[in-house]
Amino acid sequence: MSQQPNPQTVTLTIDGRSVTVPKGTTILRAAEMVGIKIPHYCYHPGLSSPAMCRLCLVEVEGWPKLAPSCKTAVAEGQVVHTDSEKARAQRTGVLEFYLVNHPLDCPICDQSGECKLQDYVFAEGRVHGRSREPKRVFGRDDFGGDVLFYGDRCVMCTRCVRFMREVAQDDRLCVVERGSRSVIDTFFEKGLEGSPFAGNIVDICPVGALVSKDFLYKARAWDLDHTPSVCPSCSQGCNISIHTRDNLVQRLKPRENLEVNGWWMCDYGRFNYEWMNRRDRLSVPVVGGKAVGWSEAVNSLAEDLRAAIGQGAVRAVCSPLASNEDMGFLRALVDVLGGGEIYYRSRRAPDEIVLPGYPILARRRDLAPNVRGAELQGMIRVGDDEARGGLDQVASHEGIVLVLGDPLLDQGEDFGGRAAVYVYFGTYPSVAAGRARFVLPITTFAESEGTWINVQGRVQRFWPALRAPGEAWPAWRVLGSMLAALGEGPAPAEAHVAFERVAQRTPALEGISYRDIGTRGVMVREPALVSGD
Amino acid sequence: MSDSSGIPFNNPGWAGNTGEFQLTEAQVRGDDYVGERPKEGTHPATAATYPYMLADKDPSAPLFEGPYRERWDKIRSRYPDARSALLPTLGLAQELRGYLSPETMEEVARLLDLSPAYVRGVATFYTMYNKRPVGRFLIQVCTNISCNLCGADEVLQAFLNNTGTELGETSEDGLFTVVEAECLAACGFPTCVQINSRYYENVTPKDVPAILERLKTQGE
Repeated sequence: MSQQPNPQTVTLTIDGRSVTVPKGTTILRAAEMVGIKIPHYCYHPGLSSPAMCRLCLVEVEGWPKLAPSCKTAVAEGQVVHTDSEKARAQRTGVLEFYLVNHPLDCPICDQSGECKLQDYVFAEGRVHGRSREPKRVFGRDDFGGDVLFYGDRCVMCTRCVRFMREVAQDDRLCVVERGSRSVIDTFFEKGLEGSPFAGNIVDICPVGALVSKDFLYKARAWDLDHTPSVCPSCSQGCNISIHTRDNLVQRLKPRENLEVNGWWMCDYGRFNYEWMNRRDRLSVPVVGGKAVGWSEAVNSLAEDLRAAIGQGAVRAVCSPLASNEDMGFLRALVDVLGGGEIYYRSRRAPDEIVLPGYPILARRRDLAPNVRGAELQGMIRVGDDEARGGLDQVASHEGIVLVLGDPLLDQGEDFGGRAAVYVYFGTYPSVAAGRARFVLPITTFAESEGTWINVQGRVQRFWPALRAPGEAWPAWRVLGSMLAALGEGPAPAEAHVAFERVAQRTPALEGISYRDIGTRGVMVREPALVSGD
Repeated sequence: MSDSSGIPFNNPGWAGNTGEFQLTEAQVRGDDYVGERPKEGTHPATAATYPYMLADKDPSAPLFEGPYRERWDKIRSRYPDARSALLPTLGLAQELRGYLSPETMEEVARLLDLSPAYVRGVATFYTMYNKRPVGRFLIQVCTNISCNLCGADEVLQAFLNNTGTELGETSEDGLFTVVEAECLAACGFPTCVQINSRYYENVTPKDVPAILERLKTQGE
């Protein structure tokens, strides 16, 4: 430390460790940077700090009283103790007060296992309570929408009130009454019904006061596996964590990414997950009505395709839920088969729903995650805003017809009836797949590894959260094997190889690897324009 | 000590009895004195602090018209943003309507361009806003430490017995609502009872019937 002190930074000591942080950083954030987690309730990085929970108080040498670390800016030469006798005693005392009226109903509480009150009391609370007074009882209150409120579990951190006020900017929650009678409530019977972002208050509630009706009593927190993923419900591509148990998605939670969604996600995306648990899946490759193994399916398909090359252009339909790997290999296959057009259809909402306090986050108009990826592969948008119609030129096409992922719900039995070869790569049985000689089961995004490009032009990865049914393969694996069978390089065995192969032939993705993308994503070199964006 | 005031009960806490001031009780408590205060509230600084709530309480009175609109405009003129005017506005609404119903809170929220939930949060925080209809006389008996040591519980019981109501309820004739209050900052004169805007100090249970009788016949 022989250099002149930088006027833009401050050096202080926290628990014996020297930290240099930008001026104006709070003690809590500075401690976080060196891995010291100071307990807190009311502080949340996405909200204002009222310093009202009194749990993050730390000892600062030379100061007569403990200081709220979430609100106190660091100062040069400060010596902070987060774990001194005084600071610990303060936390133990505060936690004892938090338990005075707490019902201790952890065995029936949904938050149990991910509850900050549980964690902090377990770590530093008193073993026995000393309060002899009867506990005041509020019972539970239905806030409307998905939110259920258990007043007795509340620690009055007011994160929910501040989220609605500052971020959703729809000031529907308030603290009613004061002192031990204070409780979170809406304006009488008005509730949270209709607020498109209210689900976030369940996430930020540090205890079990606000719980999700959708998740109520469904699973214990410690039984859930968390898989990093990306929300598939619109082109915003909010970073999420898929929580699964017994190979079923139990809930979706937002995952922090300040470039995309901050700490938030919309309720539309949050609750649009039941389809990932659908059981009526295609699970074995079917060729000519007969279930076969993959090698037989790939070989006989390659044979049919080779015979059909040259009989006019290929026409393909691709779902905008497909990954860049799937789309890239589909494009490669179409090119090998003599070229042709790939169409995609995407549902479009009439309006964007912007989160006012975090305006880069919105429920976008395109209700599919990879519209930009599709545009990047030169696919053509067809159909209406309900993703219907627009496929007449495919339905009656006489050459090769490939369908990837699109369920073709609006198409009839005779779809592809005149095609030389009709291949249906799908997840669900479809009436319109009846004429397909090849019905090949592929995985959903939740069962495979891959990438999407969101509305900002950001490539983002998702990981497999579920086991695929039967013998379903990721589409890139099927298509890659197909290309290999047609003599176009080796079949990719892993998703990152598939991505690199696609990146090589897609200028906007050139040079990007899975390692670069990581859990936060990277921007593509030249974001494709999306028609009507 | 002047006996011209003819006070029917022992109330040495009343400044008029100490001989310190040459005011008769009529001058301090009298309707003349109260009545002189103009309804439009004169200066903005006092427009919201009109103390005696003489308006006839009408739960459906409009917010705000006539002299009340004038007072409300003065209140607004004191603050750079509307939110700051919330407390005095709620006070004015209560003066007019007697209590703050959900509808009143919603109307106030509309007037000040705030969310109804925010207004509810503020209105319920302060105990001096009535969230339910109260009687003509709101009797608040201090039961905090000083008064309690000097028999506030008995005084409270005497008020309940003499008005025939339950704690927090309004008597059948609509005249009296009896509630407990925390410290009224009159610890030198326990037990202190606040009736509407006025303090009655050194109250003992035997004073209670006379106080109630006087309220019925003469008002505050």
